[in-house]
Amino acid sequence: AAVRSRAEVDATLQTAKLNPAELLPVVHCLSFGPQAGGGECCLLQLEPGLCAELEAGRSLVIRGEKDEHAVLCSKDKTYDMKIADTSNMLLFVPGCKTPEELNADPSSCNIIHSQIAGFSKNYWELRRCRPKLKKLRKLLMEDPYKGPDSQKDQTSTFSKYTTEDLLSLIQASEEEILHQLQVIDACKIEGYWRILDFDYQMKLLNHVTQLIDSESWPLSKVPLCACLEELGSLEPREMIEHTLLSYGRKYVDDAGEVFFEMLEDKICRAVAQMLLQNAVKFNLSEFEEVWQQSVPEGMTTRLDQLQGLALVDKSSRPETIFLLKVEDLPEDNQERFNSLFGIRQKWTEVDITPYIRDLCAEKQTVGALLTKYARSSMLNGVKVYNSRRPIS
Amino acid sequence: PLLSHSAGTGALAQWVLVELQGEVEPRQSRDLPGSLLGDLHYTCEGVPVLIVGHHILYGKVVQLEKPFAVLVKQGGAPQPSPTEPHGHYTVTALIKTKLLFKTRPKPIITHVPKKV
Repeated sequence: AAVRSRAEVDATLQTAKLNPAELLPVVHCLSFGPQAGGGECCLLQLEPGLCAELEAGRSLVIRGEKDEHAVLCSKDKTYDMKIADTSNMLLFVPGCKTPEELNADPSSCNIIHSQIAGFSKNYWELRRCRPKLKKLRKLLMEDPYKGPDSQKDQTSTFSKYTTEDLLSLIQASEEEILHQLQVIDACKIEGYWRILDFDYQMKLLNHVTQLIDSESWPLSKVPLCACLEELGSLEPREMIEHTLLSYGRKYVDDAGEVFFEMLEDKICRAVAQMLLQNAVKFNLSEFEEVWQQSVPEGMTTRLDQLQGLALVDKSSRPETIFLLKVEDLPEDNQERFNSLFGIRQKWTEVDITPYIRDLCAEKQTVGALLTKYARSSMLNGVKVYNSRRPIS
Repeated sequence: PLLSHSAGTGALAQWVLVELQGEVEPRQSRDLPGSLLGDLHYTCEGVPVLIVGHHILYGKVVQLEKPFAVLVKQGGAPQPSPTEPHGHYTVTALIKTKLLFKTRPKPIITHVPKKV
């Protein structure tokens, strides 16, 4: 196709009765480039911060298997992707200058031939979302680590996952995945991320707490080296250290020695889980007695340590307690609420909060969630929440 | 799938979005690629003026609150479906500015037949 000339442009201006004196001297002659109709280009609307990340040379990743809705991940955030339709035609034009750019750099030419690279009536919209991390625990629970001895009997039919595997399978950013691995006390064994089988964890924790007791160490100052020395013959040193890291806070004293301050709440919680997992429910007062006796000397049990782990039924006589782990509940908001209302028809805010707190989006409150997914009423002078829809 | 920087090093290209109402159709029945769209002028005050066929469109320069990234699908695979963007993409350019043409086009009257 012949390239448009300045003379032709000027002729058009005359026909259009536009006064060249009122226009900037440079014209852009727009034509469709060779790839224009191909549909290989599309637009992605960027949330704040993503533009700067791209300009800094960082990548964005789209994650999702065929049966999942795709998400976009930056280094540390996850976004849902949705198509937005406009009723207008959007043309993307490389090398097209704005009036400011033209005024700032008066060039010698008065005609720019710009080729439209593509066009679209829609674009991808992003919305920040919670990283979809439930799958992470599910994958690692396929084959929990039960200790070095049991491994010999295992046929390796189970999948094991490296960091790269997890990055390609989990719809979350790298930072969110690595953070979650820490939260669930996963550890790397032979290059693969593993979750420790709970009973094995308790076995390890028992070794540590019994040693603390026999050595009369203060719970806030448990020495790493001595632990490894004393227990290294019973269990792998990495596992001893991992237990201390999971159930303690690491610090270094002035002499450069490594100590752990044992985490009372976390240890009491683990002991409670160990007791509760063996039956459907327990008499509350009996449980509280056994629980206090089972935790290490010097630690105090409190029911609020069990938020998101166990639920007390105050309506039964006698009062009972049963295991209900938030991580076993659905990840989707509506499904989570359906599940909770299936377990109990009416909830107080205090009881339900630990089981919905993780659903809150960036600036969302528990109250907002309850307004959206539940209906409130008064029961015996107390505000309770129940389902908006009938539960079968 | 990775959305990576196409050039590797160096700044990402800055493109401009031109937003028009309705459909874009070539005057002739030829294919779109290679065909002319029109002339884009700016007034001295910076108002974009687009002459498309027999129409004049007046628009405005808008700085986008949310810039766009232009994604190009790699590997000659089928078009990204509107529902699921699976596949490999490269970020080719960023768009921070758009020229919005929303006013009704003014037709250019080239020849008024004389009444006899």
